[in-house]
Amino acid sequence: MGEPVLAAEHLTKRFGDRTAVSDVSFEVPAGEVFGFLGPNGAGKTTTIRMLVGLARPDRGRVRIRGLDVAKEFSRAMAHVGCIVESPDLYPYLTGRENLLHFARMLPDGAAARIPGLASLVALGERLDDKVSTYSLGMRQRLGIAQALLGAPDVLILDEPANGLDPAGIREIRRLVRSLAEERGISVFVSSHLLSEVEQMCDRVAIIHRGKTLSTGPVAELLSRAASGHRVVARPGERALDVLERVFPGRVEREGPETFLVAAGGADIPAAVRALVEAGVEVAAVERRASTLEDVFLEITGGETV
Amino acid sequence: MKFLPLVENEVLKLWKRRRFRLVLAILIALIGIIVFAQVEGRRRFHTKDWRIDTQEQVARMRNWLRQSRLPDTQRRWVQFEIARLQYHLDRNINPEDTSGPLFSRGFASASSYLLLPLLAIVFAADIVSSEFSEGTVKLLLTRPIGRRRVLASKLVALLLAVGLTVLVGGIVAYLFGGLAYGYRGWGAPFLTGFRMTPAEALDSSAVRAVPLWQDALLSFGLAWFAAAAVAVIGFMTSVLLRSTAASMGTMFAALILGTILPRLASTWEFQKYLFVTNLPLPDYATGTPPPIPGMTVPFSVAVLAVWAAGALAVSFEVFARRDVLA
Repeated sequence: MGEPVLAAEHLTKRFGDRTAVSDVSFEVPAGEVFGFLGPNGAGKTTTIRMLVGLARPDRGRVRIRGLDVAKEFSRAMAHVGCIVESPDLYPYLTGRENLLHFARMLPDGAAARIPGLASLVALGERLDDKVSTYSLGMRQRLGIAQALLGAPDVLILDEPANGLDPAGIREIRRLVRSLAEERGISVFVSSHLLSEVEQMCDRVAIIHRGKTLSTGPVAELLSRAASGHRVVARPGERALDVLERVFPGRVEREGPETFLVAAGGADIPAAVRALVEAGVEVAAVERRASTLEDVFLEITGGETV
Repeated sequence: MKFLPLVENEVLKLWKRRRFRLVLAILIALIGIIVFAQVEGRRRFHTKDWRIDTQEQVARMRNWLRQSRLPDTQRRWVQFEIARLQYHLDRNINPEDTSGPLFSRGFASASSYLLLPLLAIVFAADIVSSEFSEGTVKLLLTRPIGRRRVLASKLVALLLAVGLTVLVGGIVAYLFGGLAYGYRGWGAPFLTGFRMTPAEALDSSAVRAVPLWQDALLSFGLAWFAAAAVAVIGFMTSVLLRSTAASMGTMFAALILGTILPRLASTWEFQKYLFVTNLPLPDYATGTPPPIPGMTVPFSVAVLAVWAAGALAVSFEVFARRDVLA
């Protein structure tokens, strides 16, 4: 893996009696997209605030390219671009004025990157409009352009898909993948959506109530979650009888004619055949993607989010 | 890392936020109204002979002293005014002989205790807190620049804005005043150095005439100093409270306290150590009685400097250390 570009070592943060983040550690090597997955309030944003020096950890430290953020703040931050919580920029300035503003806070040469970045995030023709007229998706992209101004080695994005439509989410995903693959940038992405992390990240850490529960490749994580199918069939009573016979103990009645079946795709054709033979009309069978809750249930052994 | 581009950023934000344009518009409108009201008033109540006008004014003020129960500070001021006018009458100098330069100089002392500090607060109150309420502080403080440096750039921009406000106020007052009273007279003699004896009589032994420009420069310098001190204290409330409304409210309340206290509680001497009591210092630089007897210009400059230094120390320490959770 080589030297990690971003490393969190035993980060702990308390607010009064409440421990918001407890002993969180991870490493992100160059060119990796690292997902930080957890429900709202799990401690994701607090962790990010410590990564970028906005909040001081009570214990532990953050190193960026080996530089301790608490001790060598300016040198460490020269390698980082970030969006914390939401892409807040100055609404009364234009997109270009915002980028120029932050370019002035960087070494010479940052301003020269503005045209390239504007086209990278597809903001070209709106760059001279006031940010107050931007949609959330455009602000998100302007935020990313801002984060890339200093040609960083690490990009830290907090819930980049929040408030975006599906097309916008797809765009961000493509952008993040290409930054990692083509420019070798390490990207740290927080999210509360499993599907987002699944499609964007190489590796993922799951955070729950301030603690990291599991860290590993995305596929490994997903395989631990139960998958299942939703079946809609009528009449409901007869359908329940048939399903109980085919999948004993694995059927849950969700509605009068809706059932959740804890079974993989291979068992489904036989079940449909049995239903049809018993005179049950099958209206729909759909794969139920594993959700974050499923993963949590699996990892925590039944404790709910 | 260079510092000037940071100041450039802060000045740009002040300007683009329209704060600055608003303040300039307020200044121009207010000064216009004052000049207009003065000219109208003079036309109605003044005869052709300034001696008769002045004598009438003295008689009117003597009446006040006899009839009404004035608060101590006002009584002192009226007594002083009577003595001052009498001094002019005795020497056959028109005390109300006005000119554009004289009006401009008058603006400095009339605006230093409320108008200029108020405008300074309009800048100071949100120069830090707006970054918190807009969430942009998270970007501002994750750039490869230390927090103290970022805050220092904001302070410099604030002091520039306050200085420019005082300067523009003086120029606009001169232009409007000149329109009404003529533009010449910077070199005219200006009587300064009036003093109150402990027995509350006018002590004119130290009265001397200086060229008006010299006194005007002193007045504007002191007015700028007072406004800058208020701005720095407002800067601290902006850092501490992280809310523009809360910071403005606190500072306005303090300023209003400063105008009320000397009137309603003039015997409470400790108030001379409050920054708000020391703001009218261009006023008593020429000799008018200070809000609390015994206050002098060097004393007020020292009090304001101590307050400003304390506010700066608190601002920088808190800003550099506190977690940003906006």
